[in-house]
Amino acid sequence: MEIQLLQQPDSAIAKVLLERDEEIVAEAGSMVAMSSHIGANTTLKQGKGGGLLGGLKRMLGGESLFLSVYRALSKPGEVYLAPDFMGDIVVYPMAGQELVVQSGSYLASAPSVHIDLGFLGFKQALLSGESLFWLTISGYGELLLSSFGAIYAVEVDGEYIVDTGHIVAFERSLTFDTGKPPGSNWLSAFLGGEGFICRFKGRGTVYCQTHNPGAFGQLVGSKLPPR
Amino acid sequence: MQYEIKYKPAFSTLVVSLAPGDSITAEAGAMASMDGGLTMKTHFFGGFFSALLKSWFGGESLFANTFVNKSNKTQTVVLTQSSIGDMEALELRGRTFGFESGCYIAHTGNVKIGVAWAGFQSWFSGEGLFKLQASGNGTVFFGGYGGITKRRVTGEFVVDTGHLLAYESNLKLNLGMAGSLMGSITSGEGLVMRLKGNGEIYMQSRSIDGLVNFLKSKL
Repeated sequence: MEIQLLQQPDSAIAKVLLERDEEIVAEAGSMVAMSSHIGANTTLKQGKGGGLLGGLKRMLGGESLFLSVYRALSKPGEVYLAPDFMGDIVVYPMAGQELVVQSGSYLASAPSVHIDLGFLGFKQALLSGESLFWLTISGYGELLLSSFGAIYAVEVDGEYIVDTGHIVAFERSLTFDTGKPPGSNWLSAFLGGEGFICRFKGRGTVYCQTHNPGAFGQLVGSKLPPR
Repeated sequence: MQYEIKYKPAFSTLVVSLAPGDSITAEAGAMASMDGGLTMKTHFFGGFFSALLKSWFGGESLFANTFVNKSNKTQTVVLTQSSIGDMEALELRGRTFGFESGCYIAHTGNVKIGVAWAGFQSWFSGEGLFKLQASGNGTVFFGGYGGITKRRVTGEFVVDTGHLLAYESNLKLNLGMAGSLMGSITSGEGLVMRLKGNGEIYMQSRSIDGLVNFLKSKL
């Protein structure tokens, strides 16, 4: 499998070259174009969180129930994949470690990458203000993540704070808790619009997106008539 | 304090390095991420009454956050806006600027944030009765949807209401029609702002209202 990222950073699209009989798993609806001999299938199964239950859990996590599987039948082929939002794509090589991905940032992965729905604990979920579920990714192979806006990676060594709406993914080598920014109390954190932050500790990488889809949705959505 | 506006123009993001003792004040919700050594303080945005007026009649946040570096090494904070688009760092150098609702992101230095009466004409154009006004010596960061164009006005100039972001306050603003009544309606330009005097203005190349109107027709 070879992945090329085109049109970065504002309208990124991934061109995936598949070897004969190779597969790529992608979020439903993300396929833009493909060679005519590519076989498209849907699956509920992917790793530990497979099956119908896994699919339903993914749905709760803001992903679709089904994942698409594209397979190059009998000869090499190509698939173009793109997310809905204006923004960037990053390729993250999975090599046995664990990565927590914000639901919605998952775009595609090699078949040997496992997608499971991680539950970050009730307090974290309640206080994060984002969807209750995050995806826990493990296994081996390429993983494609997408962002609203540009993606910047922060090598955490010590303590780092990210607004939950700006988290794309983070390495599991980091410990984290949700809370309020230092120096504020709960009331001021909420009033100040920074009520939901994630505090990372230890060593590892956090991938952040420069823009918050929820905030943009609020900006535009608040001006639209109710449906 | 050092800053850099990265990912220009589509995803402009303000990355600020604060030396020990430095601080920056930002609009509520502007913080994307920051080093753990910074302290955040929430307060009324430009004083209690000014904040109330701006919030109720001007479309600004009631609160703002000040990020202070109380540690002994440099700390970084990343600030952004809700909209995708460009960002501008405006050195006030003693001048006073008015800002249209929602475009203010942050300020640093000896800047006084206040409120200015914008008039009923501004209300009719959907921009609020009161406007954010910044004066003093320091830097104001603001952003828009699309790119930002700076222009010096001498005499008279016309800007579509949805595209004006910031203007030097010695300019006089008057709401008007782009042409004749019939011409204004048929050209789709509707209401425009007529600026008179001498001063700088900043315009955004797209408007959220334009996007909203397009989406409305598709709902």
